[in-house]
Amino acid sequence: MNRRHFLGTTATAVGAAFAADMTRLNVLSSPALAAELKAQHKGCILLWLAGGASQLETWDPKPGAPTGGPFRSIQTAVPGVQISELMPKMAQRMKYTSIVRSLNTRNADHGTGAKLMMRGRKDEANLKYPDLGAVLAKELGRADSQVPDYVSFYSATEGRDFAPGAAGFLGARYGPMELSKSNIPENIRKLEAISELDHKERADLRDLLSKQFERGRQSGTLGSHNEAYQRVRGLMASEKLFDIEQEPQKMRDRYGKTQFGEQVLIARRLVEAGVPFVRVGRAWWDSHGQNFETHQEMVPELDHVMATLIDDLKERGLLEHTLIVTLAEFGRTPGINASLGRDHFASAWSSSLTGAGIKGGVAYGKSDATGNRVAEGEVGAAELFATIYRSLGISHQKNYYVGSRPVPLTEPNTKPIKELLA
Amino acid sequence: MPTNPEKLKSVKDFTHKNVFFALVRTPAGRTFVGSSDFKVSEIDLTTAKPELKELGGHQSYVTGLALAGDTLISGGYDGKLIWWDIAKKTKIREVDAHRKWIRKVRASRDGKFAVSVADDMVARVWEIATGKMLHELRGHKEMTPNDFVSMLYACAISPGSKLIATGDKVGHIVVWDAQTGAKVTELEAPGMYTWDPVQRRHSIGGIRSLAFSPDGLQLAVGGVGKISNIDHLDGKARVEVFDWKAGKRSHEFPGDKFNGLVNHLEFHPKGEWLLGAGGANDGFVMFFDLNAKKAVKQEKMPVHLHDAALSESGESIQFAGHGRLMVWEMKA
Repeated sequence: MNRRHFLGTTATAVGAAFAADMTRLNVLSSPALAAELKAQHKGCILLWLAGGASQLETWDPKPGAPTGGPFRSIQTAVPGVQISELMPKMAQRMKYTSIVRSLNTRNADHGTGAKLMMRGRKDEANLKYPDLGAVLAKELGRADSQVPDYVSFYSATEGRDFAPGAAGFLGARYGPMELSKSNIPENIRKLEAISELDHKERADLRDLLSKQFERGRQSGTLGSHNEAYQRVRGLMASEKLFDIEQEPQKMRDRYGKTQFGEQVLIARRLVEAGVPFVRVGRAWWDSHGQNFETHQEMVPELDHVMATLIDDLKERGLLEHTLIVTLAEFGRTPGINASLGRDHFASAWSSSLTGAGIKGGVAYGKSDATGNRVAEGEVGAAELFATIYRSLGISHQKNYYVGSRPVPLTEPNTKPIKELLA
Repeated sequence: MPTNPEKLKSVKDFTHKNVFFALVRTPAGRTFVGSSDFKVSEIDLTTAKPELKELGGHQSYVTGLALAGDTLISGGYDGKLIWWDIAKKTKIREVDAHRKWIRKVRASRDGKFAVSVADDMVARVWEIATGKMLHELRGHKEMTPNDFVSMLYACAISPGSKLIATGDKVGHIVVWDAQTGAKVTELEAPGMYTWDPVQRRHSIGGIRSLAFSPDGLQLAVGGVGKISNIDHLDGKARVEVFDWKAGKRSHEFPGDKFNGLVNHLEFHPKGEWLLGAGGANDGFVMFFDLNAKKAVKQEKMPVHLHDAALSESGESIQFAGHGRLMVWEMKA
């Protein structure tokens, strides 16, 4: 009996199951199935503004103040809320977005600031905390998922090593698939020397032998082993999710030709297919010189891509299940230096939250007239992360266990910003 | 009067919280400045204790000033041009001139027209007497080759008032016929623009200053050379000079002493030297002898300089910079 004949009876069934999972996007074309899937799955896209975008040139303008710079503020669609004139598209969509203008995170160093704002807390000497992506991969990922749970794009080289994805004590299972050189994962394609049929049959043979071996045995290790193979097959099949050629040209045009636009479009494809967390790192905003020129160049791109993402998610019925976060390691000084730059600043800066369980149109907290201090509603990384978790239906005080030690998701007594929660 | 850059010395230093972006001086010695407090002000730098006297204001930084007789035209990041009567100290008119930041305003020597350049990538020519727009000069792309918004920083008018030059972020230069608004020629200075596709994925630089020689045959172009770390202005201050009719670069001064942007270029009235001023964290002034093809004087200045104005004789220079207005002299 040859191998091909031996596997004949099982190949069709296994292959069908495999194909169903890898074409989740096609499944979404069925309205009933799509609605059910959308209702089940929450996701988060983090727009990571690496290097530190200026709050004064985005979410918290101070026109006319000595520190305000040259940009004007514009009225948004929400009465009383104004943002920088560099963000006219987001101004029109402010009813979906809330701003936190009172972050005081007390850390204006790129490296440690980035770790803090990716994890929501500082590591302890003997305890490495998981970052937001790892926590959401664990909380929102499906056990049987065959798509990655945590994908991170960071193509520019500057600052990439400051905050690599980190699963901390959750372990490598929840670590990120990091994409830095290409928008499509490398090394997940099957070898060209192996045909599609051969590839499938090898998997079937392995599956069959495993089942025979499993008979009469109780083995968690074997289960994990099989699960790992299933995930690898899923990841191999997920390549098309990363391929924007699969998107209609009209949709690609909407996001624009920039790398950031393309990666955010892929992030939407991934979230739609069930990936719970995608970080799109847009570096590098560290405008010590020529701050206004830099922001004039980069903020319109952020404005356009973020507004397009909101529209796209909304049109697909995904916005109420998908959280969009803009965040960085810190903001920028209100003081303008001699090179017309702004420097590192963590005492009064801004983030934005859109979609999922977030109430739109709220500008929470205030910085003072010059932007140097928080005047009202001071919050730190813990409160912001608690709000993110809660907006995605996760208790921010949920305990994980490291050995027998209970470790809550956020520091004890941390309160989410209730004003932002729908 | 002969000048000697070697004898350059400071004679007045006025400090203030403002960033001063633009400065013009009248033949009679009056000085007007545009600044980060959104105002246009007059200041007498010959007095012991100079004071800023507000003429009026914009709704953002005032970055361009041009003088023609008693008419002063100011331009700002609010996209507006404002005409002022400096004899009566009154506003004449306000024009919504551009939909983006106005970077520079220049007036022709004959006093008939002014040019404004802005980040809408259009240069507009205005009749000074009436405020009527005479020409729209469109020759600069709105987007960089990497699909980001571009900027149109610099303009100059030839001494004979026949030509206009404009220069943008990616190093593209257009020479225009001032009378007809027609494009005369195009030049390229790509060394002024740095796009970082790998480390930081944005750009910096651009042509920040232009000046025609007194005979109108040469066009000087100022900016900054290639920068490795675009978080800072760490590239060398760069000047190129073109024989614009031939379309050839005749001089290249890549900079050997100072980092930063050359924000202002101005020829000595008789062409003895070319002055460049600018800065990064601090400032510099440079004098180039075009015949000898070398910098004859390079002086560190205390602050980043955004603008400068020579006296008619060329003996004194007034500088506008970060928190400072200064007067320097170089009498032979």
